Amino acid sequence: MSQHDPSVWSSTSFWRRSAAWVTGFSAILLIFLTFDTMSQIQMGSDEDLKTGKVRRVPAPTVINHAIEYKMSRKRGHEVPVIGEEQPFFGKIWSPEDARALLHKGKVTVQAKNCMDCHTLLGNGAYYAPDLTKAWLDPAWQKGGLMQTLTRTHSTEEAMAKFLMDPPKYATHTRRMPNLGITRDEAVAIVAFLKHMSAIDTNGFPRNFSKPHQGEVTYAK
Amino acid sequence: MIIQKCTDVSCDNIFAWLNQGPLTLTITLHLIILVPMVWIYLQEKRKLQHRPPEES
Repeated sequence: MSQHDPSVWSSTSFWRRSAAWVTGFSAILLIFLTFDTMSQIQMGSDEDLKTGKVRRVPAPTVINHAIEYKMSRKRGHEVPVIGEEQPFFGKIWSPEDARALLHKGKVTVQAKNCMDCHTLLGNGAYYAPDLTKAWLDPAWQKGGLMQTLTRTHSTEEAMAKFLMDPPKYATHTRRMPNLGITRDEAVAIVAFLKHMSAIDTNGFPRNFSKPHQGEVTYAK
Repeated sequence: MIIQKCTDVSCDNIFAWLNQGPLTLTITLHLIILVPMVWIYLQEKRKLQHRPPEES
């Protein structure tokens, strides 16, 4: 049998087998990654909150807890830390009520088209402040500007009062319009925002925390 | 450093580990795809070398 040096690059068989391998492998990988992502973004349970199990997306009852945003040296960015039980609008919500409230908050946010101006979890516009970690914004906390302006004594009350009549408490030339949000809708939106702030977003949005507290340690 | 310690929420997954350093996941996936392609290439080359040349 004679030996010669044919070009593999012009061989149809080589390209056909390579294409089959690449397509097949990529398809299997994508299916695996889809299921892996689904398990990672699945909402945690009330039990996880009680046992302190860290979940990327906590249970709806996280609204009954204090949430802090603390720098993690290990992670290289800030992470939400779920603290002690804390009444939300003066009461502790049951898992069913909390879930229903979050759902109402989500559909209200969709109905009022908040993403037309704001960003939520990376989706939306950058005309108005990013709402992903709005609950943790110092302006809404005790002694913050918004509690002073709205004459309230809690973050949830300040947010609800603001949402019901935003132009009245404007702090910027880009004024949020009055969207006709009712008290019930405002409570639901605040619950939705509080839950969203407890989601571990790997430090997104960047540079959210107060600059003077920024104990920034980058991963080495 | 290309490979770094996993610092994600859960590290019980190979992709969480691979996704830590810059480009690690990309390099790994390309390796997984390209190494069998080299094997396919050599196999095809051997096949072509042992095929009698076509008569013109």
